[in-house]
Amino acid sequence: MVEISKNRRLVATLAAFAAGVVMLAVFDPARSGVFPPCPVRYFTGWYCPGCGSLRAIHQLLRGNLRAAWALNPLTMILLPFLTYGLASSALFEIRGQGLPQPFLRAFWIRALGAAIILFGIARNLPLYPFDLLAPGTWLHW
Amino acid sequence: MFCTQCGANNADSAAVCVQCGRNLQPGTPLVPLQTTAVALPPGTTVQNYLVFAILATVFCCLPAGIPAIIYAAQVNGKLQAGDLAGAQVASNNAKMWCLISLGLGLGIVALYAMMIMLGILSGFHQH
Repeated sequence: MVEISKNRRLVATLAAFAAGVVMLAVFDPARSGVFPPCPVRYFTGWYCPGCGSLRAIHQLLRGNLRAAWALNPLTMILLPFLTYGLASSALFEIRGQGLPQPFLRAFWIRALGAAIILFGIARNLPLYPFDLLAPGTWLHW
Repeated sequence: MFCTQCGANNADSAAVCVQCGRNLQPGTPLVPLQTTAVALPPGTTVQNYLVFAILATVFCCLPAGIPAIIYAAQVNGKLQAGDLAGAQVASNNAKMWCLISLGLGLGIVALYAMMIMLGILSGFHQH
């Protein structure tokens, strides 16, 4: 009984994820209005470290690497690692064992957190070269 | 002590190998007995939810994602120091912040969908 509900949850999660990826490939978050805006940007007017990431992944799925990079370079750098981590988690749920992962020392995790925050601050600065980090600016440069 | 999996040299108090993350204390009571230490099967480690913490920060809710990353770092920090019980507490906190972020994210999506539907409905009304 428990096993069945756990399997159902897993299937539902994977299906929702797949549906999300397909929707992201079909609809452009920049124009379609299917995806909600970033709450941080909506309420404060500032770009958050993740602003542009959905648009970036949409461009990536369409094969436009340059546009994807311009919309959110941080997401493009993190994406391979996040994908690997997600795949590992999914495999762990399915077969009880994930993919091999290195043990990250606490220092490096804190450094990563700091880098994400600094990226978020930098892309709001209206001076060159930081303004290149704002979503999309790189394309018009 | 040397890791049985990859051979890396670790501090004697380390709970997991600094190189490969293998649990170095299969049930040995190096952690004080009065703490609520969890006995991990060898080869496993305490989940730090780092991937979900980063996903939460970048795709959803910065204010909930940052604490999740901080707790993820704390999980590994405590593991390095050999504090399994502390790592488990930090792990629970990291998980909690990831779930808060997931809840906020789903809430925002639901709210947005509602606003769109209301907008479409009121749009129909005008025509």
